Amino acid sequence: MAEHTLQAETNAEPAHREPTDRGHVGRSRRGLLGLATGAAAFAAVMKSASAQPVRVKGDVDPSALLEKLVDRITFGATPEELTLARQLGYQGYLEYQLNHLAINDTALDTRIAALTTLNMTYPQLEPQTFGFVRNELTEATILRATFSKRQLFERMVELWTDHFNIDIVTVQYYKTADDRDVIRPNALGTFANLLNASARSPAMLYYLNNDVSTSANPNENYARELMELHTLGVDGGYTQTDVRQVALCLTGWTIWKGASTGVLEGTFRYNNTNHNQTAKTVLNTAIPTNGGQQDGITVLNLLINHPSTARFIATKMCRHFLGYDVARSIIDQVAATYTSSGGDIKAMLRVVLRPEHIAAATPKIKRPFHMFVAALRQTAATVTSTASMRTRLNEAGHLPFSWLTPDGYPDKASHWAGNLIARWNYGASLVNGTTGSISGLAVNDVAFYTGATTADQMIARIDDRLFGNRMDPDDRERIRQFLLPSPPTTTRRREAIGLALSCPSYQWY
Amino acid sequence: MSDDIHDQNTCGASGCREYQQLSRRSFVQASTGVVAFLAAHQWVPRVAYAQSHRGGMRDVIVSVYLRGAADAMSMCAPYFENDYYTKRPTIAVARPDSTDPNRLTALDSRFGIPPAMMGLHQAYLDGKLLFVHACGSTDPSRSHFEAQRFMEVGKPRDLSISTGWLGRHLDSVDVMVPGSALRGVAISSGMPQQLVGGPNTLPISNLDTFGIQGSTSTLSARRSSISDMYNLTTDPLKATAASTLQTITVLDAINFAGYAPANGATYPTSTLGTQLKSAAALIRAQVGVEAIAVDVGGWDTHENQAPVTGSMSTLMSTLATSIGAFYRDVIAGGGPNVTIVVMSEFGRRLQENGSRGTDHGHGTAMMVIGQCVLGGRVLTNWPGLAPANLFEGIDLAVTIDYRDILTEIVAQRAGNTQLSTVFPDFTPTPRGVFAC
Repeated sequence: MAEHTLQAETNAEPAHREPTDRGHVGRSRRGLLGLATGAAAFAAVMKSASAQPVRVKGDVDPSALLEKLVDRITFGATPEELTLARQLGYQGYLEYQLNHLAINDTALDTRIAALTTLNMTYPQLEPQTFGFVRNELTEATILRATFSKRQLFERMVELWTDHFNIDIVTVQYYKTADDRDVIRPNALGTFANLLNASARSPAMLYYLNNDVSTSANPNENYARELMELHTLGVDGGYTQTDVRQVALCLTGWTIWKGASTGVLEGTFRYNNTNHNQTAKTVLNTAIPTNGGQQDGITVLNLLINHPSTARFIATKMCRHFLGYDVARSIIDQVAATYTSSGGDIKAMLRVVLRPEHIAAATPKIKRPFHMFVAALRQTAATVTSTASMRTRLNEAGHLPFSWLTPDGYPDKASHWAGNLIARWNYGASLVNGTTGSISGLAVNDVAFYTGATTADQMIARIDDRLFGNRMDPDDRERIRQFLLPSPPTTTRRREAIGLALSCPSYQWY
Repeated sequence: MSDDIHDQNTCGASGCREYQQLSRRSFVQASTGVVAFLAAHQWVPRVAYAQSHRGGMRDVIVSVYLRGAADAMSMCAPYFENDYYTKRPTIAVARPDSTDPNRLTALDSRFGIPPAMMGLHQAYLDGKLLFVHACGSTDPSRSHFEAQRFMEVGKPRDLSISTGWLGRHLDSVDVMVPGSALRGVAISSGMPQQLVGGPNTLPISNLDTFGIQGSTSTLSARRSSISDMYNLTTDPLKATAASTLQTITVLDAINFAGYAPANGATYPTSTLGTQLKSAAALIRAQVGVEAIAVDVGGWDTHENQAPVTGSMSTLMSTLATSIGAFYRDVIAGGGPNVTIVVMSEFGRRLQENGSRGTDHGHGTAMMVIGQCVLGGRVLTNWPGLAPANLFEGIDLAVTIDYRDILTEIVAQRAGNTQLSTVFPDFTPTPRGVFAC
């Protein structure tokens, strides 16, 4: 099988790119897709298996394309994941990740079994210390992103968590239930099920004040964000009148509160007494009088089936995986799939993640959570506690569930580019000394460098593990120099890993 | 907000459960570096706010936030009000003319400060400390988290704003020292909401040790590796790296550990004292820092408030001696121009509760301290403490919007002309905070 090395971009449809995102691709002489991979290992894998290498226009190197897919749909490619992907081939691996419930995740499940608040009901959570509950949910989120084999699933949980943002300090215990009952069951399901669950989520209703919205005193907050942020998008074609009318439709959508409600406490309640029963019009659709809860159901269906929602969701999914400025034609294909499949998230992902789309994907900055998790995955770090990591995530401005406003953590390079010290110090401290100085996290450099004894071998190992052999050559050379004289000392070889985590090319994927 | 889960939480010995959570709370995200600028509204002030630029240098704004709703009526007690004594039988501080050794010291014929606040007395006598009383946010929330949020984002009840008033201020004025890498700093881990959105703004919990972590023996080699690599990359990372490395260099060059306060000032060794001492060193170094945020926790005194002998007394004396030292060192000691503003999310209940403490209230007090403050007085439109004059019949009313005070600071002492960016949808009333 021929290996192709590209000098520059593929012949695939050129993706638009923000000027500021040239960081990685623009500088690398080898670009993201072309490379001469090391090896025997690669050749051996490719000889095995029935995996047909995927080819795209322009003869993009199939193995590089596969690695790029892995990079985009996981929180960081690992040797195990790449081996699996090569065995299964592009389509096989994609289907494997989409079929997430069939992936055996017992190792991860064992890890988080001790976090007992995750499965508690509201009455059980309420007497807990909030900080404890919050820490368990955050720790679970970190552990899942790091160790779950269901990586595409976890990347979608990330997307939907931001899309349906809820600030945990506001809603406290409700968010544990929202993560468990709204986001996770539906992250790879249908958008309709996801939206319907969210609209009945005590966390969401409380966060956006719908729980206190009544016919006498309607509150428009949820109604507005439901359209602006969750479905149609700000230019999706709704009016201020629609916002008011939707708010009236959703009056009575509230929460059972108070210990006297027993096992119902903290669950969704439709309270018809507070519902506005007048006739209404939403998005040019007449809603009759005395509609009760059906009013809200009608609204949700209107939004789910609206073409602006198809486009808005398609845009979010494309941006998440393919870059900051995805070609209109790709978004349109995904939006069409939304409509034709009934909002089937997997069907949409099959379109988003087509080989030619991945080939055209442009660099994205790793947000701090992603970068911190990728570092753990790719150094095969052991994690015994995430407490110190959570502190650092907070300093980096990306502690899970801590974004104040409903728009969620931004997915823009400009937002995240302003705090490098948090990344540099995470890298430096992770490997500092012989045991690292981030308590609860440990990198075993002996295992990392097995078989590599010289500076050249070690930089090759770093390139392979952290960059899939696509490390920027300037970063690579500089860190190779840091490893000199050869053979490197323990200090230097450990710190070289930290420098690699700190370097410009590691901040992108 | 009715049925507020915060209202349902009990508030006990260690404060409200909601607030305990806040004390473990992580503040909102760190610097955004290059931040989308909020469009400036074309707002023409009814009163011209004078700008004061002596040679382009503006006051450094030091914003001290008391987290937990500090009891303003203990810090600056209305001893002329009989209700203060009848409603607070165990926690009112004795009148200035009493023989109680722990009596108030009169500021004027109406208000006095308890012994624990005497660290600020000199600043008051010098006419550089202004108390603003019966002030605060018009937002009625008595939820710590909510009230802090709306106060810090600078607009009540607006859930769409994710930046802070002080961050927007930095983003809407010209850079004070061109080329300065660090314009705003929160001396804490995590960025407090009030500074979110500030360009070249970082949370730095320890100014003395800020830098690249790891082994000191390889620090230089690692730093130069990082510098070389980022020098070859493109923006935005290239620019951020350069500014970060510059900030490290600039802070390294400041002798925080060996800083010698001027004018005989001595900072207490408490956290706040240490933070303000390092702020003083940073300000004196004049490297272009324009805003510094500091948080002080622990003010949620639901039980055994003890403004004279116990927990609140300790809080106040730490506050007063720390800020008092800073005043003596920098403001009275001939340092660069600074305006300190001290605020809290709301005040506390006039009527003490059954646990010798106070519940959440409404009207609060602020302090403004600086070389140009028209101080030595209590600025207030005192509403009175009779039930008919209390907010919702129970709490000190708000008669001065806190944004009036902050507007004068950013306009008159920091040259901001984009006031509607700093405080959207707000028309300030001039209050005459400054003499110059």
